[in-house]
Amino acid sequence: MSGILVNCAGNSLRFSPGTSLPQPKSTRSHNGTARFPTGANSFRASAQTLNAEPAVTESVRRRVSSLYELLKVNETASLPEIKTAYRSLAKVYHPDASESDGRDFMEIHKAYATLADPTTRAIYDSTLGARQRRVHAGAMGRAGRVYATTRRWETDQCW
Amino acid sequence: MAEPAYTVASDSENTGEEKSSSSPSLPEIAVGIDIGTSQCSIAVWNGSQVHILRNTRNQKLIKSFVTFKDEVPAGGVSNQLAHEQEMLTGAAVFNMKRLIGRVDTDPVVHASKNLPFLVQTLDIGVRPFIAALVNNAWRSTTPEEVLAIFLVELRLMAETQLKRAVRNVVLTVPVSFSRFQLTRIERACAMAGLHVLRLMPEPTAVALLYAQQQQMTSHDSMGSGSERLAVIFNMGAGYCDVAVTATAGGVSQIKALAGSAVGGEDILQNTMKHIAPPSKEASGLLRVATQDAIHRLSKQESVQIEVDLGDGDVVSKVLDRLEFEEVNKKVFEECERLVVQCLRDAKVDVGDIDDVIMVGGKEEIYKEVNPLEAAVRGAALEGAVTSGIHDPFGSLDLLTIQATALAVGVRANGNKFIPVIPRNTMVPARRDLFFTTVHDDQKEALIVNHLLGYFKIVGIPPSPKGVPEINVCMDIDASNALRVFAAVLMPGSKSPVVPVIEVRMPTVDDGHGWCAQALNAKFGSALDLVTLQRKV
Repeated sequence: MSGILVNCAGNSLRFSPGTSLPQPKSTRSHNGTARFPTGANSFRASAQTLNAEPAVTESVRRRVSSLYELLKVNETASLPEIKTAYRSLAKVYHPDASESDGRDFMEIHKAYATLADPTTRAIYDSTLGARQRRVHAGAMGRAGRVYATTRRWETDQCW
Repeated sequence: MAEPAYTVASDSENTGEEKSSSSPSLPEIAVGIDIGTSQCSIAVWNGSQVHILRNTRNQKLIKSFVTFKDEVPAGGVSNQLAHEQEMLTGAAVFNMKRLIGRVDTDPVVHASKNLPFLVQTLDIGVRPFIAALVNNAWRSTTPEEVLAIFLVELRLMAETQLKRAVRNVVLTVPVSFSRFQLTRIERACAMAGLHVLRLMPEPTAVALLYAQQQQMTSHDSMGSGSERLAVIFNMGAGYCDVAVTATAGGVSQIKALAGSAVGGEDILQNTMKHIAPPSKEASGLLRVATQDAIHRLSKQESVQIEVDLGDGDVVSKVLDRLEFEEVNKKVFEECERLVVQCLRDAKVDVGDIDDVIMVGGKEEIYKEVNPLEAAVRGAALEGAVTSGIHDPFGSLDLLTIQATALAVGVRANGNKFIPVIPRNTMVPARRDLFFTTVHDDQKEALIVNHLLGYFKIVGIPPSPKGVPEINVCMDIDASNALRVFAAVLMPGSKSPVVPVIEVRMPTVDDGHGWCAQALNAKFGSALDLVTLQRKV
């Protein structure tokens, strides 16, 4: 249901969400090298997007078809609605509030940053149809992160 | 690692097993610590509210200093000074927050040479030499060591009172602290057996407290209520920090940060210079008398300063407010500049600001909150939130969305700083930029993370200049750790042609001041990068 505003209070949002955003600790392994699953061209394409920010990564695109769906708001949502949705999602996905390493929250923030600015939102809206077709065609493939996340050892903290 | 052998008496006995014996079922609630230039405080979420711990003298604000007069150094937590002036005999080291992580070319370090303990500089970009006077001999120490000794005492005090091991901490830090300074703080914490969960810029800790207070009064847990924009201005003894935050529903989103190393200490030193001959600036008596005069000036139009400096030198002066403001004009102008810059960076008009929060001064901001306690209260809230503590009444249904205080980037385009993650970017952050070679068949490229570290990416296949694509990505995680990744891509290749390099920054240790110069002198443009201009 992409058209419905998130509608629950902060506390009840705390438990592990049933959505498709992964809990990173169980899914990530570190093997010292990074993968470039999509090759140089799509790699470049992903970095060369709206307002010079890296695009919503394919790992999220794979599952949601638009930034609106990512924020769980209607495509006609007002700015206060977008802000409210962003804050509600922040309380779930921000690393301070969850086990997450922040990758999901970065996607949510990018979506918010794009949709909260009328100019970038208009540009995004105009490309929305094309984007969805491309994702459905599977052009992006299963493109994960460019660089693997390093496991944080405690000794990392200092020396 | 040119660290001196480290000798904190109580360190070794607190590093081991007893910590793991704490109950596994309950998450350890991180304590919040506000390390001030002149005083520190420590607070913790007690299950229903923030509780500020007191030392044995019933003080919530604990003077930040360490004395070296006996065999075992003693900090301001347990140690009681017989007299205020004991702090000024040279045996006590203080103002460590002004000194930590700074090199000896830094003006802030130079300003510290007036302090009663020894601060020596060679002006070559290395750590300054500092020493305390012990039995008429200078005993060397480091700002990290002094801070660690102090933190050990603070930790032991907290452990006694909380009846549990204390390991995780949230610390507040000045906005203007460089990444290098932050690692020095983390290091001092590690020396004291503490694990840093978060380093919070001071005004963002205040912002979290503000978010909580706002939520408590509005009973708005959804964030659907209107967003409030606030400017937080925080001036302490050593630093001046400003933040603009947008708050609703317990979520404080930091829009912009600005900070600078100006504070009460500068005001004190300017005033001392103004009223006394230069040869007497290091006098402890003068320091005390001046401090007292400045405090009186906040209530009176003018004050009389009388101090006998010995050897027949007597300072007798009337100082009025106008003169005081003139002497400290630069400090006040800098504060103003920070506020203007912060508002501009946040893209906010003064008219849109709903609240102005002053911290560190004497005025009360909230009914029950002492402005000097705001930062530590915020840090304690953050400690509880990041420790995963829930409050049935929603008091911890809070979040601060941080922003980067400083830009991070690389050296490229002929010794220019190219930001990869700009200032005031939301944290966690990950950004990348493409660079390319400047010479034909350039096999290596030097990636210099501005003043923080450097590494070479090697094995670039022979190709005309401008063809290889060198991707530099920077990642700042929620605990503010910075990683730099570099990969070489060739047109048509499906994956990086050499293994990706991942580096945790900073890699440089002390002496980073001259490191950049040395790199530039040795490699010049031979291993340079330029930003890749893409065809749009």
